[in-house]
Amino acid sequence: MTARTVLKNEWRLLMADRPLKIALGLFVVLLGYALTNGVVWLRFQERTVEATTSGNVERAAALQQELEAIEAGGQPSSPFADPRSPRVLGGPSGSHTAVLAPGPLTALAIGQSDLLPYYYDVNIYTNEASFQQNGEIENPLNLMVGRFDLAFAVVYLLPLLVLALSFNVLSEEREQGTLALTLSQPVSARSVVTMKLAFRALVVAGIVLGVSLLGALATGGFGSPGRILLWSVTVVAYSLFWFALAAWVNALGRSSAWNATVLVGAWLVLVVVLPAAINAAAGLLHPLPSRVEMVTAQREASNDAVNRRSELLARYLEDHPEMAEGVVADEPGLGALSWAATDAVNGRLEEVAAEHDARRTEQTALVRRYRFLSPALLAQEALLDAAGTGDARFADFQSQVREFAEQWREFFVPAIMADEQMNAGVLADVPTFSLADGDSADLARRATAPLAVLAGLLALIGAAAGVGLGRVRGAD
Amino acid sequence: MTESHESNTGAAPLLEARGLSKDYGSTRALDSLDLAIAPGEVYCLLGPNGAGKTTTINLFLGFVAPSAGQALVAGLNVSTHDRESKRRLAYIPEQVMLYRNLSGIENLEYFAALGGQGSLGRERLVEILVEAGLDGEATGRRVSTYSKGMRQKVGIAIAIAKEADALLLDEPTSGLDPTASSEFSALVERLRNRGVAVLMATHDLFRAKDTGTRVGIMRYGRLVTELSTAEIGHADLERVYLEHVSDNGGP
Repeated sequence: MTARTVLKNEWRLLMADRPLKIALGLFVVLLGYALTNGVVWLRFQERTVEATTSGNVERAAALQQELEAIEAGGQPSSPFADPRSPRVLGGPSGSHTAVLAPGPLTALAIGQSDLLPYYYDVNIYTNEASFQQNGEIENPLNLMVGRFDLAFAVVYLLPLLVLALSFNVLSEEREQGTLALTLSQPVSARSVVTMKLAFRALVVAGIVLGVSLLGALATGGFGSPGRILLWSVTVVAYSLFWFALAAWVNALGRSSAWNATVLVGAWLVLVVVLPAAINAAAGLLHPLPSRVEMVTAQREASNDAVNRRSELLARYLEDHPEMAEGVVADEPGLGALSWAATDAVNGRLEEVAAEHDARRTEQTALVRRYRFLSPALLAQEALLDAAGTGDARFADFQSQVREFAEQWREFFVPAIMADEQMNAGVLADVPTFSLADGDSADLARRATAPLAVLAGLLALIGAAAGVGLGRVRGAD
Repeated sequence: MTESHESNTGAAPLLEARGLSKDYGSTRALDSLDLAIAPGEVYCLLGPNGAGKTTTINLFLGFVAPSAGQALVAGLNVSTHDRESKRRLAYIPEQVMLYRNLSGIENLEYFAALGGQGSLGRERLVEILVEAGLDGEATGRRVSTYSKGMRQKVGIAIAIAKEADALLLDEPTSGLDPTASSEFSALVERLRNRGVAVLMATHDLFRAKDTGTRVGIMRYGRLVTELSTAEIGHADLERVYLEHVSDNGGP
């Protein structure tokens, strides 16, 4: 009875409170704007993916046509771009674009998908430098704050709305004098405050989940029910964390002004300061090598390689004896010499990239270790992962592209070394890229830690609030 | 549950204090109060500020825990039977504060439902508010437009709706004009006639004599004397009161 009574009264109070209705309306408008941003980005990404996919097909068809024409006695369109050469067919003009399709819930969380490359042109010259052209390689946390999307609204704005709705849930009753009359009835402060907050949580979560589901419905996200479930659970757990915090602060028995100050301070610390501090610590403790170093290494290695091509070829053949058979030892072809130089440059770049990757791994490990201090970071991680726009999916994509580039080289390099010519028949055997997305078990495994910690924090603060509210009497 | 003493009317008391004491740090706010109020009795607690009147009411409401002794409502120890005792109690504070953005009807519906009366229906709610003295026209208006007297009447309506056995009033007529004060007393009288036991803390000697059946004068947390209003006049009550509260003696 108490539950229904309080819920009904809360509804009436909400309906009678104009500023609160305006705040909720504004929040809905912001969510709508965030969703629109997400949908616009998704459509743009879909168009790009479609263009690159059809580009692959058109390029292959054009090469096939030219090779068939040459085989029929024609001439290549350019003597420097003869598709029979494996350096041309496996090089930039014959490259295959590896594409990361938009995440299933990209419209809800753009995440890093607008900052990190979601397609790579793969050819025999694809090397570590290609993977470092990420626009942003220095700051793992800056990557997490992108466009104004639903995930951003949830992580940053939702707590503010929750606090606006609940900072005075008990203190106002005390200040306006209704608490004594309420607690003279056979009810406890704990049950009344819990129901009041439950109503507000229903309103907030209802609005956010409603807009989220609308977005998922409009963009085909319902094909991934596991991801929608993870998104919804994260939104609810994160909202409840802030409601529990507000309940706990209210249970301390201070004024509404004091509650507001403390809760806004908590928001500032947990959502803004702590993530920034973790970010700063990661940068200070594990600074990334300068990108200039990568460019310089590439230039130096290229110059050196050109000057020492014969020596490099000999060393390459020592490392790859299986290739030696096709190479004429006393008069090697231009292709073999060139590839030996390319391989040497790649080797040097791999060394620089390995150092970069090691620092970045250390940074990421530090961020991952301390992200448990901030529920905002935990929620952000889970939301992006649910949307398929998080760091994990991108890293997986990049790793698969590296493997694909290796397959590509394995297909063309033997022909380059042997100075062989390609024909139209080999096109059917040229490797193509197809992303193997992780399954829902991977997603569940990754989401377990952030959600478990979020739930733990919620339980801890909820228990503290419960104990505090249990002590509230009418004559505080 | 504790066996109740009999009040001076012979019936089992609905409100009873047994050696009830309350300390705030080193200050004794209430000192070994013994009191029994029977159905149909209006017991008025008189005394200066800090005498322990509000503390007594807060102890019956379970708003504060006793340092010693027991507060009993219909024989139920308030400390161990918080909800059961509150089901039998109604409370009207000095200022009945309601939800300002809701109407009188909506406030009554909420507090009556919290009190365990379920959904009473709009017609019955209006009936109760009118019975408590509120104009029918005012019942649907927002409480923010109400005077203090009107809010006190909603407080009475909440008590009526709850059909409580006992009523606790903490200076309920403070700040009311004489007409509103008189109307309020009449409502208390009606509840008394229904067998409700009333404990009223007040500074108003006239209202205590007029409404009460017994008067207790408190000072420094102690009940220093108890009188039957039927046996004394207004002037006598004032004299006795001044005798007990004006001397220079401390606790």
